[in-house]
Amino acid sequence: MSDAPLVEVRNLTVDYVGANTVSRAVNGIDFDIRPGEAFGLAGESGCGKSTVAFALARLTRLPGLVSGGAVRFMGEDVLSFSAERLRRYRWSEVSFVFQSAMNALNPVIKVSEQIEDAILAHRPKASRAETLARAAELFELVGISPRRLDDYPHQFSGGMRQRICIAMALALEPKLIIMDEPTTALDVVVQRDIIEQICELKARFGFSVLFITHDLGLMIEFCDRIGVMYAGELVEVAPAGAILTAPQHPYTRALGRSFPPLSGPRVRLEGIAGSPPSLSALPEGCRFSPRCGEAIPVCMRLAPELRPTPATGGEAACHLLS
Amino acid sequence: MTDILPAITTTPPRAELTAPTQRELMAELGLKPRSRLLARLPGWAQLFVTNKKGLFGLAILAIFMILALLAPLITPYDPYRRAGKPHVQPGVEHFLGTSRQGKDNFSQLLEGSRASLTVGFIAGFSATLIGLAVGISAGYFGGKTDEVLTFFVNVSLVLPALPLIIVLASFIEEASPTVIGLVLALTGWGWSARTIRTQTLALKNREFVLAAELMGEKKWRIIVREILPNMSSFVVGGFVLATIYGILAEAALEFIGLGSPNSVTWGTMLYWAMRAQALQTGAWFEIWPPAIAIMLTGAALVMVNFAVDEITNPQLAATRRIGPIRRFLRRRNRRADFV
Amino acid sequence: MAFLLRRLGFYFGAFFVAITLNFLIPRLMPGDPATRILLSLRGKLRPDQIDAIRKTYGFSGSLWDQYLQYLWRLAHFDFGISTVNFPEPTASLLFYAAGWTLVLVGAATTLSFGIGITMGIWSAWRRGGFFDTFFTPINVMLNAFTPAVVALLLWYAFTMQWPIFPLGRAHEMNLTPGFNLETLLSVAWHAVLPVASIVIVSFGAWHLGMRNTMINLLNEDFVLLAKAKGLSDRRIRNRYVARNAILPQITSLALSIGFVLGGAFITEVVFNYPGLGKFTLNAIQTRDYSFIQAQLILLTMSVLVANLASDVLNVILDPRLRSAGRA
Ligand SMILES: Nc1ncnc2c1ncn2[C@@H]1O[C@H](COP(=O)(O)OP(=O)(O)OP(=O)(O)O)[C@@H](O)[C@H]1O
Ligand code: SF4
Ligand SMILES: [Mg+2]
Repeated sequence: MSDAPLVEVRNLTVDYVGANTVSRAVNGIDFDIRPGEAFGLAGESGCGKSTVAFALARLTRLPGLVSGGAVRFMGEDVLSFSAERLRRYRWSEVSFVFQSAMNALNPVIKVSEQIEDAILAHRPKASRAETLARAAELFELVGISPRRLDDYPHQFSGGMRQRICIAMALALEPKLIIMDEPTTALDVVVQRDIIEQICELKARFGFSVLFITHDLGLMIEFCDRIGVMYAGELVEVAPAGAILTAPQHPYTRALGRSFPPLSGPRVRLEGIAGSPPSLSALPEGCRFSPRCGEAIPVCMRLAPELRPTPATGGEAACHLLS
Repeated sequence: MTDILPAITTTPPRAELTAPTQRELMAELGLKPRSRLLARLPGWAQLFVTNKKGLFGLAILAIFMILALLAPLITPYDPYRRAGKPHVQPGVEHFLGTSRQGKDNFSQLLEGSRASLTVGFIAGFSATLIGLAVGISAGYFGGKTDEVLTFFVNVSLVLPALPLIIVLASFIEEASPTVIGLVLALTGWGWSARTIRTQTLALKNREFVLAAELMGEKKWRIIVREILPNMSSFVVGGFVLATIYGILAEAALEFIGLGSPNSVTWGTMLYWAMRAQALQTGAWFEIWPPAIAIMLTGAALVMVNFAVDEITNPQLAATRRIGPIRRFLRRRNRRADFV
Repeated sequence: MAFLLRRLGFYFGAFFVAITLNFLIPRLMPGDPATRILLSLRGKLRPDQIDAIRKTYGFSGSLWDQYLQYLWRLAHFDFGISTVNFPEPTASLLFYAAGWTLVLVGAATTLSFGIGITMGIWSAWRRGGFFDTFFTPINVMLNAFTPAVVALLLWYAFTMQWPIFPLGRAHEMNLTPGFNLETLLSVAWHAVLPVASIVIVSFGAWHLGMRNTMINLLNEDFVLLAKAKGLSDRRIRNRYVARNAILPQITSLALSIGFVLGGAFITEVVFNYPGLGKFTLNAIQTRDYSFIQAQLILLTMSVLVANLASDVLNVILDPRLRSAGRA
């Protein structure tokens, strides 16, 4: 694998345009995803993880607006793709697994057609037999009998639907699969099952993954590197292992404390005191300062910048680290 | 774990990637910050006041209502009596001419707006009230109550209103405007009952209602204190629709001669104009005033309904911001590709 | 199937409510309905016929007996004798008129549904664009321009001011109706204005309904997924959004038939078109109660049948309903 990153995100800024305000859901974040790597995005609900994911895939929905920054895919500027280039980018280079497979499949179209559609959109010359064979192959890959290809989404269980979505994401062997809470809607056993399956497929096909989940344990297990977001900003990027063992940023520490360790005796979970700031009333200086137990005077005045942290080989944005 | 830092060489200077500040962005998108006065109003009122269509509709309605209220003071002639020769052309004497029967059209128009608006509002109000009562009971109490009520809601939706009204009205003989309004309410409550029921079902399982139930609040108190305030916009929407229906259906009924021909409403004016063959004889001034009044009122109510829709449905409200967003992207040579 | 059976049961219930209302209304109004009806026959009857008529109209005996009798006669499509075209049975008049109304309503509904849905798809797709911003409000406003006014306007403009279209009727007077080109052309030509006036006041509702449903659907994850898959805009619009959005419109279409009929009534009056509306107006003026009541029953029946048809269509188009029935 070459060292050039697959995706470079630079100063990505996303706003939601309201009736008479704009709220900056993502405030200038930078990170890379390398080829074959699983990159995780962690953070409390509403910190902007999905917004980043959608912007990466150029799927920002109204009233969202990517108002600045750049997303580069293998060096190309994704945000200024032409219509035709964009169509090629979608699915054959970057595919997506949504949080809720319940809503991600069109209820009135057979799943076979929904899979074949994805193939046909990029290989218009493929015959019906070819697309059908590919759909059957994909079904087998995720452990569903191809006999069920002609069923409608509501005839499958939640877990099966999520598998179908994953199968669909693999259809064109993309270089990056974005998974936004792919297992949240499922029960724990099914969740494990599916994650194992994704790991296996990833090992086999070598795609990169942008992985979002609220289950920090799962994320550490699955990902190579993790970015921690707080109120629309990236506060730390570190190798997955370091998130629990050597967290650099106070927020990462707090996040780690609020999750049970992977092994060993269960300890009492500590939540993070206070709640994340609303985007319309952000504090001066470091956004975490009102909740930070280690804040120093400069924190209230100046926003810290992301800097390399030699201890983990990652980066973090905190005045304590400079 | 060495080169976590982005490869500097491939990255253009950061300045090129800078996003506008939020304030700059708002200015570019043409969003104005809320004035302090506006910020004090409740949320839905803020949305309504900033909605041009809604305000425009309200303004037209207000003009008609003021004219209707002042009618007895400003009608130049008695609208119920002959005021001149038949079909006098509009002029100084008779602003909108006279009807075939020699009544002053302008006076009739003003007097008619009283009855027509009253009937519309009576119909709209009663229909909303029935719909509210039935919808909330069905949604909140559920079970058998819901089954029975929903059956009647569906029946009232499915039965053809006008033919039924024709039967009713024809046995009533010369229905007065008020009676017509009530008859319309009796046939027009189904839609609002259905929306209100759906809305109640959604609210019933929200935390604040469950909390009130746990606290042992009485059912009717929960309905009045917790549920009702949270569907004001649906009630308003239902009321506007029912009023449109009321005004249009009243005009239609009177137009085909089911009203009392001696009352003065926009509908009876059309009825007499039609009977007098006003258009064939070139007396356009007998037919246009009530026709335009009906159209304007209908249009105004539709505008208000548009505004209510946009307030209740953020998806619809967001459509208004597409244009500026599109232009923002175009200026940066980027395509807006949201569907 | 279970779903359809349930609906069928409901329609029977609704029909029953309608015919019972129809039975009760004249009997609940002040005054003796029989006398009223007899009054409208004034002068046409010999005294010995009066008793017979009283019986025929079902106004003798206890209320319960009357009700049973009424049901019995309904079951035989016996709506009584028309008092205007005495002694023509009401049923034959009714079915003649219904035929013409069907022509109007059928053509108008097809057109207005087609136009409205197409515009709705377009304006939802380019929501916030020029077409959407201007034509959505305008079309919906047209919807609030009562049929009476629009019909009068069209009638005045295209038969008086610029006499392009015929003044009224369903076809030329001297025509012997039959299935030939000449008849069809004549009927179509005479239907243009009435159909246009119904379409003008009704397509806006479809435009708005389809637009709003589509806009809500556009926010669904499955649309985003379709987009993420790189499908062409056309395919997303037609197959992934409009396909789903049309389902609720079909249901409203059936429910709206009653409204459309209302519009058709008015239009027929203006254009002197020999449909149910015009005959009902005649009946109102001459207090021909048997016809007034019969039209309600016939129209209720047609609306219910339309609703049943829409249910069947929904079951065919929506796989969720299909298997709900199987379960
Ligand atoms: N359509 C929208 N309109 C306005 N604001 C929005 C919209 N969607 C998201 N936001 C705001 O943007 C911020 C980030 O939202 P986002 O969905 O990206 O969070 P998230 O980290 O994915 O949260 P979760 O873990 O709950 O999925 C939130 O504060 C949210 O309120
Ligand atoms: S910058 Fe200051 S407030 Fe922010 S996380 Fe670091 S110590 Fe806490
Ligand atoms: Mg999310």
